[in-house]
Amino acid sequence: MPFSLLVSWRYITANRLQTLLLVLGVALSVVVFVFITALINGLNIYLTQETTSKIAHVELDPPSRVARVLVDDSRFVAQPVSTLQRKQIRNWQQVIEIAESTPGVSVISPIVEGNAFLVRGEATQPIAIQGVEPNKVDAITNISRYIIEGSAELTTGGLIIGADLATELGLLIGTPVLLRSERGAERLLPITGIFRIGLANLDQRVGFLSIRAARPLFDLPDGITSLGLKLDNPAEAPTISIMLQNATQLKATPWQEVNKSLQDATDAQGRTGNFIQGFALLAIVISISSALLLSTYRRRAEIGIMRATGISRQFVAIVFILQGVFIGALGAFLGAAAGYQLCVQLASITRPDGSSMLPIAPNEGGYMLVIILTIIGAALAALLPARAASAVDPVEAIQQ
Amino acid sequence: MSQTLLLAKDIIKTFRNGEQETCVLKGIDLTLTQGKMIALQGASGSGKSTLLNILGLLMRPTSGELRLLDHALTGLSDGSLSSYRNRHLGFVFQYHNLLPDFTALENVAFPAAAPAGRLTGDIRKRALELLDKVGLSDRSHFLASQLSGGQKQRVAIARSLINNPKLVFADEPTGNLDQDSAKQVMALLRDINRNDNTTFLISTHDNSVAANCDEIVRIIDGKIAN
Repeated sequence: MPFSLLVSWRYITANRLQTLLLVLGVALSVVVFVFITALINGLNIYLTQETTSKIAHVELDPPSRVARVLVDDSRFVAQPVSTLQRKQIRNWQQVIEIAESTPGVSVISPIVEGNAFLVRGEATQPIAIQGVEPNKVDAITNISRYIIEGSAELTTGGLIIGADLATELGLLIGTPVLLRSERGAERLLPITGIFRIGLANLDQRVGFLSIRAARPLFDLPDGITSLGLKLDNPAEAPTISIMLQNATQLKATPWQEVNKSLQDATDAQGRTGNFIQGFALLAIVISISSALLLSTYRRRAEIGIMRATGISRQFVAIVFILQGVFIGALGAFLGAAAGYQLCVQLASITRPDGSSMLPIAPNEGGYMLVIILTIIGAALAALLPARAASAVDPVEAIQQ
Repeated sequence: MSQTLLLAKDIIKTFRNGEQETCVLKGIDLTLTQGKMIALQGASGSGKSTLLNILGLLMRPTSGELRLLDHALTGLSDGSLSSYRNRHLGFVFQYHNLLPDFTALENVAFPAAAPAGRLTGDIRKRALELLDKVGLSDRSHFLASQLSGGQKQRVAIARSLINNPKLVFADEPTGNLDQDSAKQVMALLRDINRNDNTTFLISTHDNSVAANCDEIVRIIDGKIAN
């Protein structure tokens, strides 16, 4: 063992109570760091899951404008222009094949969507209709989970609507209602399911229909309006979008783009977390620095003896830096272990419905990061005491 | 002819305290030759400790020349002086002599192990031999804080010899000891001086200690008295 290591270890173990208190102080700051990291990461995971479980991770739409070559002052220029045509994907079977062969894509759901009105007596309400394949009703949004009345079965040709819309028009299961599409087509449909997802937009404005029933309403005998995709890992949506856009020439939109506010919210949480993490690290640095500085004063005479016998300033400085590193490492490992335990305990506290009270992610406590940062911080914290110790004048120290 | 170990020429040391300047050493010339045991005597405030600190390379003179083993020391960096102290000089102090949280053996080995980076088997062996020489081989694993005053001073003597110095400075080595321990320590220094030809410069108030030395250097008011 290097002699400097032996000397610093001896100093640390010479006053066990003081070292224990110091290590506990460091560990406590590490627990705070781990807790806040696990909480913020858990919250991000929870919010992202909540969002991505209800929407398509990537949506494929026909491009709204196409590049067309025009003659301008006898020059040829390319300019995006409106197609002036019905937006639809005609070759959607082909697009599905491309999407299916793209790694990371788990579910593909063709959709015929359009705007319509629900008419009951004199009351009308706008509704966004999603025509989906009956076996894929749960593919993008897990409607079955949110059904409060009726069922999510679409094969019978019925309409599934949100609870707010149902209340608005006084609709119950089995009530026939007139659906008038933006194309002017009308059809009388029974209500077969009512859902409550908890998002006003969906509960008030969206209805689900089988794709077969939707086609005549929106005058789309062959084409579809969009494709909704679910991915194995929602975080990969931006890269997969670019791949699909290049492969299909369709417009691919990752979910992050339509949920910018979620990104903003998680970013803001992250910044708040960074502040608390920063303060926890600062507390570690200050406590180690002050304790070691006190130790240099207490051991002044001893340092003086070392210096008198010709031991170098560097050796003295290294002994104090190593003490900081020891305390930091002990506190970091102890705090990381205690922090993990705390997070596991907190995560196991559940509400009556079985969901977790705190959306904490015990495995996402930033353990490696906090251990590395604490040890580096502790070494930095020891720099000032190490400097003070190495500057001790042997003559003054011995004569005291 | 005995080898000259340390040569001091016209050493002057002044201390500045605000506006006031005090001249503590007023032109000291001194030659320390190998194998001698020299007592340094003087009243409190005569400049005895300052001279010992300067000769021991712990303090720089205001002016004057110092040569150790025929090497000029003027203008050397702190690091070089520290290295000279470590390799060629030994120290025994009156107080705070040992590191209380280390064993007797570790204390003795310290000045050799720190520069070497490790407490090697050779250093351990040498430290044990020295502890044996000062009669404390059975206390090698005692913490310094568990030793008596006389034992501590003997460990300090063993430590001062770990790097085989030619010259050992002792500042009131018996000042803090009872008579019996003081006698033992002096007898030990004398033994080492005779057997190993180690030179000792011993600062002391005690006339019986001085009487045991080969030479007495008296310092009066910052000058060496003839």
